[in-house]
Amino acid sequence: MSEAKEQGLLAELPGDLMMWVLIISELLVFGAGLAAFLAVRISDPAGFADAQDHLDRAAGGLNTAVLVTSGLCAALANRDGAQGQRKQARLWLAGAAALGLVFLWVKAIEYGDKLSAGIGTETHPFFTFYYLLTGFHAAHVVAGIVILGFIACYDSPRNLETGTAFWHMVDLIWVLLFPVIYLLR
Amino acid sequence: MKSIFQNRLWWCWVWLLTLSLTTTAIAYFVTRGITGPIAGAAILFLAYMKARLILARYLGLAEAPSWYRGLNLLIAIYMVLLLALYLAAGL
Repeated sequence: MSEAKEQGLLAELPGDLMMWVLIISELLVFGAGLAAFLAVRISDPAGFADAQDHLDRAAGGLNTAVLVTSGLCAALANRDGAQGQRKQARLWLAGAAALGLVFLWVKAIEYGDKLSAGIGTETHPFFTFYYLLTGFHAAHVVAGIVILGFIACYDSPRNLETGTAFWHMVDLIWVLLFPVIYLLR
Repeated sequence: MKSIFQNRLWWCWVWLLTLSLTTTAIAYFVTRGITGPIAGAAILFLAYMKARLILARYLGLAEAPSWYRGLNLLIAIYMVLLLALYLAAGL
């Protein structure tokens, strides 16, 4: 491939190249985790189904709606920021971050219910993966909220594009994680 | 209101919510014990469709068709792997 064509391909990519490296790396990490989850499930599908019945599927579904709506807010912030509408962009960012907090609140209620029922990481391999994967994802939501706050303060179009891309990655991971952990049985 | 629905981002959001609601409807049947390969395949297919929308519209890859096709293919292959692992548990 010629250098010019290579440059053209990279130039076509929206946003910062390093953010895409991060997005693909995170997809690989979570992808490996979800594949491992389903691979371990092969040895005990009935046990995994029983364990899954302790999850709140409605809460998971609600959180999906919350996160995709939050993603819309972030995408609109990016669009408005690129058009120089800084105040509007900040409002969308605040909306995205607020919905991120709602996601974490629902997740905290879920964890509280499990822990009060005596369900921990050692209860069953299902819950080891559940806490590991959803906990790691929740950590990304926290990081994403911090990043949204940061780009609201330093709101250059480039920062907005890069920061909101991180948020969409969090969204993307959840739409793959939720059905595998909560619904497949 | 008209301008909102002329915007592809809003349409993307409407589709994502529709797909999420459909997933929730399938989850309702899963809760009632109606499971099987078709329900599992449908759940994974809906997840794949949501991932495609997020890549295309939220992450802006619709403007970069080569990258979109490449990532789309990778995610499709990955979803087939997940489906194979899911079905292997029933053998």
